[in-house]
Amino acid sequence: MKKVIVIGGGAAGMQAALRLRARGVEPLVVERETETGGKLRGWHVLFPSFTPAGELLSELRRRVRESGIEVLTGATVTAIAPRRVTLSDGRCLACDAVVLATGFTLFDARIKEEYGYGIYDNVVTSADLERMFAQGRVAKADGTAPRRIAFLHCVGSRDEKVCQQHCSRVCCITGVKQAMELRRMFPAADVFNFYMDMRMFGPGYEELYREAQQRCNIHFVRGRISEASPTIDGRLQIKAEDTLTGRPLRMSVDMLVLLVGMRANDDNAALAASAGLARSASGFMAPRDLFLGRVSAPVEGIFYAGTVTAPKTLGETLDEATAAADAAAEYLKA
Amino acid sequence: MSFFAPFCLPFMIGAAVMFVLLAWKWGSWLWRLPEADKRLVAKGIFTRATPEAVWETVRESLLHRRIFRIDPLLGYMHMSLAFGWFLLISVGWIETVAYLGLRYVPLQGHVFFKYFATGLPHKPAFDFVMDLLLLLVLSGVALAWFKRLRSRALGMRRTTRHVAGDRVALSALWFIFPARLAAESITCALYGGGSFLTGGLGAWLAAHVGVMPLMTAETVAWWFYSSCLGIFFVALPFSRYMHIFTEIPLIFLRRYRLRSGEKQSSYDHFQVEACSRCGICIDPCQLQSVLKIDTVQSVYFLRDRRYGMLRREVADNCLLCGRCAEKCPVGIDLNTLRVNSRDALRNVPDERRYDYFQGLDRSSGEGRVGYFAGCMTLLTPRTMQSMERIFEAAGERVWWADREGGVCCGRPLKLAGETDSARRMMRYNTELFRKHGITTLVTSCPICLRVFREDYALEGIEVLHHSEYILRLIREGRLPLGRTTERLAYHDPCELGRGSGIYEAPRAVIEAVGELVEPAHTREEALCCGSSLANTAIDDGQQVALARNVAEELDATGAGAIVTACPLCKKALGRGTATEVRDLSEVVAARIRPAAGRATK
Amino acid sequence: MAIEFGYTISKPRAIDIDRNNLRKSDEILREMPELQTCIGCGSCTAVCTAGNLTSFNFRRVHTLVRRGEYRGAYEEMNKCMLCGKCRLVCPRGINTRGVVLLLKRKLGDF
Repeated sequence: MKKVIVIGGGAAGMQAALRLRARGVEPLVVERETETGGKLRGWHVLFPSFTPAGELLSELRRRVRESGIEVLTGATVTAIAPRRVTLSDGRCLACDAVVLATGFTLFDARIKEEYGYGIYDNVVTSADLERMFAQGRVAKADGTAPRRIAFLHCVGSRDEKVCQQHCSRVCCITGVKQAMELRRMFPAADVFNFYMDMRMFGPGYEELYREAQQRCNIHFVRGRISEASPTIDGRLQIKAEDTLTGRPLRMSVDMLVLLVGMRANDDNAALAASAGLARSASGFMAPRDLFLGRVSAPVEGIFYAGTVTAPKTLGETLDEATAAADAAAEYLKA
Repeated sequence: MSFFAPFCLPFMIGAAVMFVLLAWKWGSWLWRLPEADKRLVAKGIFTRATPEAVWETVRESLLHRRIFRIDPLLGYMHMSLAFGWFLLISVGWIETVAYLGLRYVPLQGHVFFKYFATGLPHKPAFDFVMDLLLLLVLSGVALAWFKRLRSRALGMRRTTRHVAGDRVALSALWFIFPARLAAESITCALYGGGSFLTGGLGAWLAAHVGVMPLMTAETVAWWFYSSCLGIFFVALPFSRYMHIFTEIPLIFLRRYRLRSGEKQSSYDHFQVEACSRCGICIDPCQLQSVLKIDTVQSVYFLRDRRYGMLRREVADNCLLCGRCAEKCPVGIDLNTLRVNSRDALRNVPDERRYDYFQGLDRSSGEGRVGYFAGCMTLLTPRTMQSMERIFEAAGERVWWADREGGVCCGRPLKLAGETDSARRMMRYNTELFRKHGITTLVTSCPICLRVFREDYALEGIEVLHHSEYILRLIREGRLPLGRTTERLAYHDPCELGRGSGIYEAPRAVIEAVGELVEPAHTREEALCCGSSLANTAIDDGQQVALARNVAEELDATGAGAIVTACPLCKKALGRGTATEVRDLSEVVAARIRPAAGRATK
Repeated sequence: MAIEFGYTISKPRAIDIDRNNLRKSDEILREMPELQTCIGCGSCTAVCTAGNLTSFNFRRVHTLVRRGEYRGAYEEMNKCMLCGKCRLVCPRGINTRGVVLLLKRKLGDF
């Protein structure tokens, strides 16, 4: 049986491996962490349906387990070639094709120093908040309930000042989703979303946005927060321009949530160099063709699945993983 | 002896034109000096400054010590031309006296003495010395030719692109000494004399060429030599060679403490025309080395300004980092000239544009120590927070000038050339500082620091950069710190290092908390982060390119973190590297021993 | 009257692109094409040192100028202190200080 190494054991990697197995190919999943799941492990519920992420994760894991797919955890890949994958411990794994599903890195919000992440209590990222949701307890650092919460969109996205020009796609809808969850959790709290553009492109997204505005009374302010600073009574003062009125706006909040974007993995550069692959300006891998070769690398025998090529939603990632596996299977048949 | 021959005419006319033009230029520049400058000259002329200036003239205008420091071969080239020519003239003068005794000899008599002295008995010692000096100068000319072809061999990657007038003067200069060699050798061939060079060449010519052709050649050669001199002298006041004569008064005036300021003045002429367009300023310029912009460097800026063709694009496109001024062999105050050019291009009288300052006071707290964060520091809250911790640990009562937003220090506006409006801000802030009765003013921003020290009238208020203030606290034992072995690479901000001469304080502070490491270019040679407020011409991508270039050197040290002492540098460097960039105050605040903090409370 | 800058609620006035003369605006954009990349996030105005103290709104003024509304723009831009905070936060990397100087140079006579 032909063997394909799937690098990355997140949603894309697992789905690609499942599809490969269904197509009669033997997949090997190589995962850096000690378990599969990738970023999906960090989610509480998924937009736009509020489906518990755990359901999806355990279903994928169950299928992988039941298909008898071999998973190598705790293994970091340092170099790839169509028929060989090199690990950091020096091991070389032979194969007939490679599916790269290494995903993305979350933007480190400390870099945007003016937002105060890591400096002030109660400045959290969307990933932190998701973790809090998962633990079932959202609270300020002093343990009390927040009464006024602000979300800031586009942290580490569409920002040349941190060399991240691209849109991360999922933060807008995540901001809406998380704002609604907070409103449900704290019905008395006010929630404000500071955005530059609301990009509601997916099925059900616009409807969710509308629901957030109309039913949940979430306030949307068009303007990017420029600074956060502490107030004497331990809250945070944020500044922005309310661009729709053309006037500077300042307000104090109990919690500031930074919707952090997706960044290309740092090791994309080394992987690309090892196999002669191209990266786009944003650092993500560049596919062979934007229309007819979306899941193929320019090098024969290497395929891409998921956010390794660009920010994507979970649904898009799963579809693409299937497509990548199919493309790999076709390649091996030829 | 009549000391006249028709071939002398080009030289005589050239010299006369040159001296008239020089007298006119110097006279009008000195005449138009501001009264205050004239007083400075009158006050300084009979002090030690004058002999010091004489010595500096010998050192720099003749021996070119500063160029030697940049590259020995380049220094030798300039010295052999300048000092060699000077000796040829002065020894030639002595020679004339030795031959003829003390009597009046017209200028051309000295210059063309070899031609006129054929009937006199020879003095071989002088022949030898003069030949030796001619050889010295010729070696310089040969090097200059060589430099045109291979500038790198003389320590310069790039040389100046010259204007047409310069090329005329340059060509004339290159031919003066070979022409002199030819003329004197032919005369030696006909009448004997000369030493190893002219005599030797003369003997060879006498042996190989007939007398008649030699006679013709002699006339042609002396005419050519005299013409080269004449052309050079006429071109000199209009070309880069004006520096030969301008550097001398510049040295004296500088010793009398004349300086260029934010407004153009007559003194600037001495600085602008003292530029020899050597092009040494091109290599240090990061706009050139990183961004490949090669039309804006100081040499081109001064050239354009001198000939009245300065464009805003050139004046504005400069980081004012001062790396070129550090290397300028003439010591021209390049940054100030750039600023006052911008003032001339842009400044409009303040039309009540900042009336809104009236009655404004957003400061908070109370204390003899005032802290002025600076606009940029408000965007680096870690610095603010660290300063707060440091003040608290040292038990300092602090007046916060601008934590809630204040009025800018005025330097950004000054650097852009709007100097009158900048003064308005300076007045406002000065009054604010006075009103709150502070005796010490601490700032985290080197841009603010520099304007506070140079342009504000803050008598009675000590202005300190936070690096100096923190070092003082440490030395007074008010800030007990724990030291670690963390390796910290320090980046010198331009305005702090070259701008304010503060190199040691931040280094001493870093050494109190960790291990200091330095990048390849450091201290006076440190690179600019690229985001300098002084440059309003380059775009964001170019700023990032500069930042990456600097960050590369800092990363190469292998340090765990990069430390700087300027909010703007911090922001800029952070865009060029994945390594963490911290302000000096952050590394200090993180190492305050907790016990100390409690003890002071 | 020149200083009044579009804040009068009593006299609503449409921006009439047909009637506005866009020549100046085109000239400005030719010199500084990156100004077109503004996405109107308002960061510049939010951090603005002068905007903190007055009604000066950099984003609004340059947007109006791009629509051919020049009246009062010079006077408004003159409130700027050129401190550079806006350039430090602009997510599009616009050379905002360069824009201020350019607008003042081009619109001094409006």
